[in-house]
Amino acid sequence: MFKKIKVSKYLAYLFLIVVSAIWTIPVIFGIVTSFRSQTEIVNEGFRLLPVNWIVDNYVAILENTSSAPILQWLWNSIFIATLHTLLVVAVISITGYGYSRMKFKGRDFLFFTLLAISFFPNVVNLIPSYKIIDILGWVNTPWAMIVPGLAGMGNIFLVRQFMRGIPMELDESARVDGAGDFTIYAKVILPLIRPVLIVCGLFSFTGSWNDFLWPVIVYTDVDKMPVTAGLLLLQDIYGNYRMIGQLMGSAILAIIPTLLLFFFAQKYFVSAINLNSGIKG
Amino acid sequence: MNNNNFLKPLLFVGPHIILFIVFILIPSVYGIYASFTNWNLIGDPVWVGLDNYKTILTDTDSTFYSQFFNGLKNTLLFVVFSVPLLIIIPLLIAVALEHKDLKFTSLFQTLLYIPGLISISAAALVWSLIFNKQLGVANNLFGSEAVWQTTQPYAWIIILIITIWAGIGGNMIIYRAGINGVSKDLYESAEIDGAGPVRKFFSITLPSIRFPLIYTMVMTTAGAFNVFAQPLMMTDGGPRQSTTVLMMYIRDLAFSHGESIAGLASAMAVLLGLVILVISAFQYYVMNRNAA
Repeated sequence: MFKKIKVSKYLAYLFLIVVSAIWTIPVIFGIVTSFRSQTEIVNEGFRLLPVNWIVDNYVAILENTSSAPILQWLWNSIFIATLHTLLVVAVISITGYGYSRMKFKGRDFLFFTLLAISFFPNVVNLIPSYKIIDILGWVNTPWAMIVPGLAGMGNIFLVRQFMRGIPMELDESARVDGAGDFTIYAKVILPLIRPVLIVCGLFSFTGSWNDFLWPVIVYTDVDKMPVTAGLLLLQDIYGNYRMIGQLMGSAILAIIPTLLLFFFAQKYFVSAINLNSGIKG
Repeated sequence: MNNNNFLKPLLFVGPHIILFIVFILIPSVYGIYASFTNWNLIGDPVWVGLDNYKTILTDTDSTFYSQFFNGLKNTLLFVVFSVPLLIIIPLLIAVALEHKDLKFTSLFQTLLYIPGLISISAAALVWSLIFNKQLGVANNLFGSEAVWQTTQPYAWIIILIITIWAGIGGNMIIYRAGINGVSKDLYESAEIDGAGPVRKFFSITLPSIRFPLIYTMVMTTAGAFNVFAQPLMMTDGGPRQSTTVLMMYIRDLAFSHGESIAGLASAMAVLLGLVILVISAFQYYVMNRNAA
């Protein structure tokens, strides 16, 4: 009996170590390469560590503010993702409150109708969405990426589910004390739903940060685009492997902000995502 | 009933309803409408009935016909190969991570999750170099002679590798949380009955995480149908358009530098949407029935 557990334990370790190594090596390879000179990369080929560590690639990247303004791209991405996330959290908590703690005629019918419509594949609304952004004058502005995503139903569904687990007695006793809906929302409910809001916020941030198709469509102005769309241009700018170090350095710079966010918020990632209970009304 | 009973909920749910109408309802309806029109994104759409669909589905001489079926075939290939791997690999990892008295689980999880946080374009730059013929790891270290980006099946293999590398994190976390929520008593009584780890996995773990499995399968499949970034960045659709997926054709037709053919592109989008819808519904139906 004891032996069995041990064997499977070591198998689990072996499996995890191999997979983690495969998953980590590309990132390390990118980092190492970004500190090597072009001549060294071409002449020496693949090496685990550089012969000479140089920072010239990063200096060159930061000095190129015309064709590849990577700091501007990073700032655009940070601005877009942060504002988007804050607005998502505000919208989903207020809307979730309305659909779970207020009583009005047709409430659940309205909610499930919107939810059903939102399941319709969004490839269909891609082209008209561009037209709407164009009409609003938002092409090449941050709003093109900040606002449309606020309409989604997925996060509202999660918040609503979470709120239904909070006893209604809390609201009622607050109401007896003379609190209105806005007070109950802000003082009673909001502190209690923090875990689900943090998870939705994290997913919104990384989703917005990594979005690719939409920014490639709505940004043509090099100075206005987020970093994902910008990196697409790099293959041409530092292209044909003439400036490999710069290419890798830019990729590494683009990775750093989400990594920082992840390390600060790590503990929330597993705790709040439990779907076992499923959809129960 | 006074007015107040309606006004107040409207303050809470109203703003989102406006967003929903402007950014989901109108574009969806308009997308369907546009598929029956000639439209260049600038002027007014001109109604042409079923012409776009006829061209795409039946006019064998038209480039749109061959683009649509080539794109659909490549998209389906991607879905068929990527989805099972995007389910099975995270599931195995989650099971391994939930093994009792294992240490460093959060370190493993972090290492495996990080690629999902890397934007696909940054990841593609690194992976393209790894598979570069002269300079890359694959050829230098493993002595492979392949020109990965421009030869099949290697072009598909590198697209799948980067997809799986970047895509397992979310499902892994969902499965972990699911397995974590399964009652420990079930496993203990199974052990007393003499069930081994494999038996426990199939008889207890899998049925217990039924809902997360259905959810991730439907979401992963629908996501895979929208594949765009990986082939664009890794192979640019080559060699000879054998990795050009439908999303790439749709984007080119609607937003390329020449005159936009948004009506026809919308028809392709609607057809892709229908395929996604039918397959999602089918998956949900089959899995729910088998599991019940």
